[in-house]
Parts: sequence; C-alpha cells; structure tokens
Amino acid sequence: MKSKLAHFYLALVFLILYAPIIFLIAYSFSQGETMTNFHGFTWRHYQTLFSDARMLAIVANTLLIALLSALIATFIGTLGALSITRTTRRVTRDSLLTLNNVLMVSPDVIIGASFLIFFTLLKIPLGFGTVLMSHVAFEIPIVVLMVLPRLREMSTSLLDAAQDLGATTRQLLTRVIIPFISPGIFAGFFMALTYSLDDFAVTFFVTGNGFSTLSVEIYSRARQGINLEINALSGVMFLFSLLLVGGYYWIQQAGHKRRQRKREVAS
Amino acid sequence: MTEPIITLRHVTKRYDSHTILKNINLTLESGKFYTLLGPSGCGKTTILRAIAGFMQVSEGDVLFAGQRINEVPANKRNVNTVFQDYALFPHMTVAENVAFGLTLKKVAKPEIVERVAKALKLVQLADYGDRAISELSGGQRQRIAIARAIVMEPKVLLLDEPLSALDAKLRRQMQYELRDLQQRLGITFLFVTHDQEEALAMSDEIFVMNQGEVLQSGSPVDIYDEPINHFVADFIGESNILPAKMIADFQVAFGGHQFECADAGIPDNEPVEVVIRPEDLTLTTPEQAKLTVTIDTQLFRGDYYEIAATDTLGNDWLIHSVNPAEDGEAVGLTFRPQDLHVMRFGEKEAEFDARLETYEELEDENVD
Amino acid sequence: MRTLTKRRTWAYFIPYGLWLALFVIAPVALIIYQSFFDLGHHVTLSNYQTYFQSATYLKMTANSVWYAFLITLFTGLISYPTAYFIHQLKHRQFWLLLVILPTWINILLKAYAFIGIFSQAGLANQFLTFIGIGPQQILFTNASFIFVATYIQIPFMILPIYNALDDLNPAFINASRDLGASSWQTFRHVIFPLTLPGVKAGIQAVFIPSLSLFMLTRLIGGNKVITLGTAIEEHFLTTMNWGMGSTIGVVLIVAMIVVMLLTGDQKVKGGTPR
Repeated sequence: MKSKLAHFYLALVFLILYAPIIFLIAYSFSQGETMTNFHGFTWRHYQTLFSDARMLAIVANTLLIALLSALIATFIGTLGALSITRTTRRVTRDSLLTLNNVLMVSPDVIIGASFLIFFTLLKIPLGFGTVLMSHVAFEIPIVVLMVLPRLREMSTSLLDAAQDLGATTRQLLTRVIIPFISPGIFAGFFMALTYSLDDFAVTFFVTGNGFSTLSVEIYSRARQGINLEINALSGVMFLFSLLLVGGYYWIQQAGHKRRQRKREVAS
Repeated sequence: MTEPIITLRHVTKRYDSHTILKNINLTLESGKFYTLLGPSGCGKTTILRAIAGFMQVSEGDVLFAGQRINEVPANKRNVNTVFQDYALFPHMTVAENVAFGLTLKKVAKPEIVERVAKALKLVQLADYGDRAISELSGGQRQRIAIARAIVMEPKVLLLDEPLSALDAKLRRQMQYELRDLQQRLGITFLFVTHDQEEALAMSDEIFVMNQGEVLQSGSPVDIYDEPINHFVADFIGESNILPAKMIADFQVAFGGHQFECADAGIPDNEPVEVVIRPEDLTLTTPEQAKLTVTIDTQLFRGDYYEIAATDTLGNDWLIHSVNPAEDGEAVGLTFRPQDLHVMRFGEKEAEFDARLETYEELEDENVD
Repeated sequence: MRTLTKRRTWAYFIPYGLWLALFVIAPVALIIYQSFFDLGHHVTLSNYQTYFQSATYLKMTANSVWYAFLITLFTGLISYPTAYFIHQLKHRQFWLLLVILPTWINILLKAYAFIGIFSQAGLANQFLTFIGIGPQQILFTNASFIFVATYIQIPFMILPIYNALDDLNPAFINASRDLGASSWQTFRHVIFPLTLPGVKAGIQAVFIPSLSLFMLTRLIGGNKVITLGTAIEEHFLTTMNWGMGSTIGVVLIVAMIVVMLLTGDQKVKGGTPR
C-alpha cells in the first residue's frame, strides 16, 4: 500500500519532469503553426530548420565555442588542480579552493555583468573572443573540482614508487599522474562542455551584436512568440544530449566492463 | 668482512623542532637480511626513506658502496622499495606494473618481456601478467610489488612493513618466501617491521629502534638472549623483568634471595634489572625451588600453558609450561644461572659490548 | 636539480593563477568599484543612497527574496520525497539518471515549452476547460513564474538529497528500529537529521540562482515579477546605468554570502571527510 503510494508519487513527478519536453518535441512534427492543436505529422519544421542558414551558423558557433572553451578550460583546470594539490600549507590550499569556487556559486548575472565591465575596461570588442574567454573562465572551476578528488585518491607512495623505479619529474606526470587522473580530466571536459552549451545569461551579457549562440537566439525568438522551428531545434538538441549522455556513460561503462570480462576469462 | 653496501654516518633528521632520527650510525653488508624493528613512530620508516631518496637527511651522510648519495634523487639510486600499501599503479596491468621501471630505462622490448616473465615466475605468479591490479588478492599484490622492485635488479631491496596487511597464516608463509627469495637473489634486504616475531624469524641482523635511536643491533639470538635494556627486553618476546642488585661478579639478588648468574663487570651493589624469559622457568616442588610463587591464573595456548603467578614480595611472574598448574597452588620455580640476564640502567650499546667481551674472555679461559 | 623541479612546478601554476587574478578577483573587485560611480562617472555613494531610500528598490529586493524563498520551499517539498522514494527503488541509478537528463536540456527550451503549455489555448487551459473551470490567464502571472522556476530547479535539489541518503549508513536505520523506533520516528530522529546536509546543499544550489533568474521573469513572468537578476540585466543592457546595476550586484553578492553562511555549517555538523 505504502509502496504503491510512493510509486504513484514518483510517476507524477516524472510525468511533470518529462511532459514539457515530450510536448515540445511532439509539436515539432505538427503541421500547424502553434502549440495548441496537433494538425497531423510533418517534417516541414525540420526542413525549415536545416535550410535556415543563420540558424545553422549559430549552431556551428555554439559547438565551436563549446569544444574550444572546454578544451582550454580542461587544460588550465587540470594544471590548477595539480598546483592546488602541490600546496603544502593548509591555509594556502583552502584559500585557493575558496577562490576557485567563487564562480561556481556566483549567480550568472553577476558573472556576466562583471565580465562585461572587465572587457569594456580593457577595450576588448565584444564578440566571439569575449564569449570564448567567458566560457573558459566559468568552466575552469568545475574541471578543477572534477580532477581534484582523483588527485586526492592517489597515495603519495604511488609517486614514491614511480620515482623509486626511475621516473623523472616529467615521466611522473606523463606516465603516472595523468593516466591515473584521466577519468577526472575526462569528466571535467564533459562537464565543461555541458556548462558551455547550457549557458545563457553570461553569454547574453558579453556577446555584443554581431555574434550569437543558440541560447541567446532561442531567447530572442521565444520573446517574439511561438515558432515551431524552435520545436524542431529542441528535438535535434534533445537527441544530441541523449547521444552525449549515452556516450559518456558508455565510455565509463566500457572501462568497467573490460575489467570484468578479463576477470571472467581468468576464472 | 664484505664491503658495506649502505652506511649511515651520524644521520639526524629534524622536522621543525621535532627530531625524528638522532645520530644514527649503521652499516649494511651485501647479501644479508637486515631488519629495522621498533614501535610505530620510532623512525624506522624514516631511515628507509632516507636510503631510498624520498627524503633529505638534516645532518650526516648516506653512503652507497662507499659513495655519498645524499643529493642523488630517488630515481637515480640503485635501491628499490616494496611499499606498505604496495603502491601498484591501478591503471596498468600486472605486467605493465612490473615492466614500468624497465621501460623508463629504455631497456629493449624482448629483454623487458623476458625479465618481467622471470620476475613473475620468481614470485610464483607467472600467469598473471594480463590481470588488472583490482583483480588480485592482498597476497598476490604483495608478490607483484616485490616482483616490480626486484626486476630492477637493485643492490638493496627496501621493504616497508610489507606483510602488515596480510592475515596471520599468509604472513607466516610470506616470511619463508621472503627469506628464501633473499637467499636466492643474494642481495641485501632491509626490512622494516614492528612485529618482533617477523624480525626474529627472518633476519641475519636486527636493529632495535625507539624514539629515533638505534638501541641495540645484533643477531636475533643475541638480542633475544641478551637485551641491552628494559625496553628491548620488553619489546622482544615475553619477559619477566625484576628490580635487582648486583652483589658481586656472577652474583645477583632479587625477590629476597641471592642467585648465581652469568653476568660480570658491574660494580658491586649497583641497582640493576634482571630478565628471565617465561620459557626458561621450570615448575617444581617448593622443596627443590629457587623461588616460590602462587598461581593466579592460566591460559591454554595450544603448545603450552601460559601461567601468571605472584611471589611472596608481590612481583608478578609469567611462566610458560608444558604441564598445567592449579589456580591458588603454591609451586616452586627453578632456572639455570645462564637463563638470568642482568641489565644496567642507561648502558649504551658500545659499553655493553665492551663489558660482554671482557668477561666472555674470562669464561673462555676458564673453559680452557 | 631540486630548484629546477621547483621552478617547473611553478610554471604549471601560471595559467591557473592568471585565471584567478583576471577572471575571479578582478571582476568582483570591478563590480564593487563600479558601484561607486554615477552616470556622469563621478565617484559617489549616491547609488547606495538611492537604493536604500527608494521604496521601489527595497520592495523589489523583498519581492525577489520572497519569490526565491517560495521557489526553494516548493522545490524542497517536492524533492525530498522524490529522492527518498528513488533511493528505495531497485534500479535507482537508472531513475537518478532520468532525473538528471532534463538538466542537459537547454533551460530556454524548457521555458519556451511552458510558453506553449500556458498559452491561451494551450494544454493547461484545455485541461482547465475539460474539468469545467474554463480558460484562465496563466502565462505572465506570478504563479506561472514560480511553477516554471520550481520545475527547472527540482533536479538540482533531488541530487544532493539523494547523495546524502546514499551516504547514510543503513546500520543507523537498523539500530533505530532495533531500539524500538517506528518508521516515522526513525525518519524524524535519524534519517532526516543525518540527511540535512544534503538539504542545505540543495538550498544553496536553488536559492541563489532563484534570486537572479532574469530570462524566466521576461519569458514567463511577463515582467510582472522583477528579481534582483532582472534589475541588474536592465541596468546593464537597457538603461546603461552600470553604477546602479553594480550596486544591486553588490547587494546580490551580499545576499549570496549570507545564504552560504546560513547553510554552510554542514561541513562542521555533517562530519564530511576531513
């Protein structure tokens, strides 16, 4: 009885969580122009979307910004995590961590507004460059936070052992530390990617006139009312995030499975 | 005497105001099994780290085959370590772990394969090369850690409490294997442990440490039979330690009686301590006894009874006996003069050795 | 040799250190600095005076805090049972993944979906007509703003609570039952207090963004609700009064610090590792 109630509650929550998404995608196949009544199936909105040169350019921009910023942020963030673990004094480490987390907890508008002041002060023209820099900036702390736990898990005797077997400082990094923390680096890169794709507010502040990302474009179109091309876009983006999440879990599981298979062969 | 492979000369290590090692002097010869024995925090692992190169000493010299190596980094020293937590790289297979050091040295591929196979065979895990570290049991990890170190063909192998994570049965088995391995390889082993049984079983020579100092060094038999002071006697094996007074050479008084002993060279009437090992005490009738005690309690230990008793002056006694006694019974104890060992307060190892030499010569002359 | 290693390690720190200086410390300093300038670029305290003397600004702030409080409250009330029930399911990892999945979808698309659902002839009004209430104005009301904001924040509240439940040692629950506590008593005296750090983490994750959501107030709230975030956006991008915008930003930063201090003691109480 009790568990039935619980299941009913969960079903309701999941219904509410998914109803808007399903609703959105369903209407991308509707022949009408609004999201009120379903008028029969069509691919028309997808055709409009894929022939909308402006939209495709914006999609390309968004992906370029996401990949580029995630790569740079992963590089800088990993170096940051390495330096944080190398600090010996507790006070230094704690203050570094606090500073690291400032951008994690700051509201998007504050980040956006303060970056806008910063770029204006330095007379950097708003556009691709400022969006890229901003994305790198707010992605770095999440990379650090994903890499740090892996670094902490690594016992110092592991480093001693590598040195004992003849590794130089450089080999220590490339042969032991980086491979060991690579799951963290990978997770950090992935999180950075999704942070970038998901961001609206910061980009909105620093993007200027000539340059736009998907979030900003959806915002300006949504303010003008319903346009089923956006529904088609959300269908594509939903598929894309499914693939991304699926791929991420598949890669994580693959490592796990490989080990398991080996065990089966061995026994 | 063979050439010393490792020498520590006046080595001191300080952290802030804390002194971890106080003026350590020790010499390790090639091809022997040495043990650093002491309670946790006594500095034994610090000595290991100083030899391995993970740590710089504050004062003194670390010599390798006569060469000072204080400034040589760990990756350039011809010594290798087996770590307490094994420190096997989790992202590599067993074979990759063992091959790690050789690949860094850019040894040719076929030779690596051959040497890895040989090392794995030596630790009896020849078929385990492709396994992941997470699939191994504790005992197997232990062996791989050893294989990874010995494949480098070090002159000295350092082992930092490598058996402490294993269960009792496996630990005993590994004691045999380690000893066997050391003799087959013919290299120097320096083994760190807080387990006196392990130390006694495997070592050619033991260094007993406490609070950053080496208190006594010697063969297991020497250290067991002739501990230098209360700490060593108490730390190694079970013992009865009693306050006593030296009456004259070969005469000592305790428990209200005077006894013949095997020690000399101590001023008359000096307060001392005597040690008698529980297994050297024999139960007998009160008439034939040197001492009379009352049985308090006893525990059956399988191959012997461990009996706790009290003498008339209130001293506690621990006796190992093949036969049981009865609680509350008054029994007699006997022991041979050579089973008594007299310890002077504050005697250093050098003085102790010198004194031992004087009267052992005397005894030898008497025998002649 | 040693100095060489040392110098190289310091080189690792340079890019990260530059980031800290340029994109963490400098922007915060700049927003505080900017808040002391008026429209004519004079150094002044007038922005703060205006802010604290104007009924509009104070009422807007109070409103923003009140809405953020409501959103956090509703999110918490829905999320705790959800996290608790999911934790009891067989394939809980899968269900948790289903909770996370909607967060991968762009927040603007979700807001856009609600424009359709809440519109005059939308799904919500069709339902209301069906049950006999008749169509209502739903879009551009305070209620719709709170509903959509809650919808968006739910996963961010479920996750920390779920993790806290997962960290809870089941032996505590068995011990409590063993000592005679009923299910409800066990929940009240053992499970809830021990998962409170998760709830606090959830509050942190929900309350602060709720103060600053500006696109929702525009798209769903129809500019009826003005949050601190909306006000900042307007001053920076529409009226170009950066000084006043920065002043409100400073207020928002202070509010954020207060929330962090109020919910931040879980590290001490919860006994998280180290």
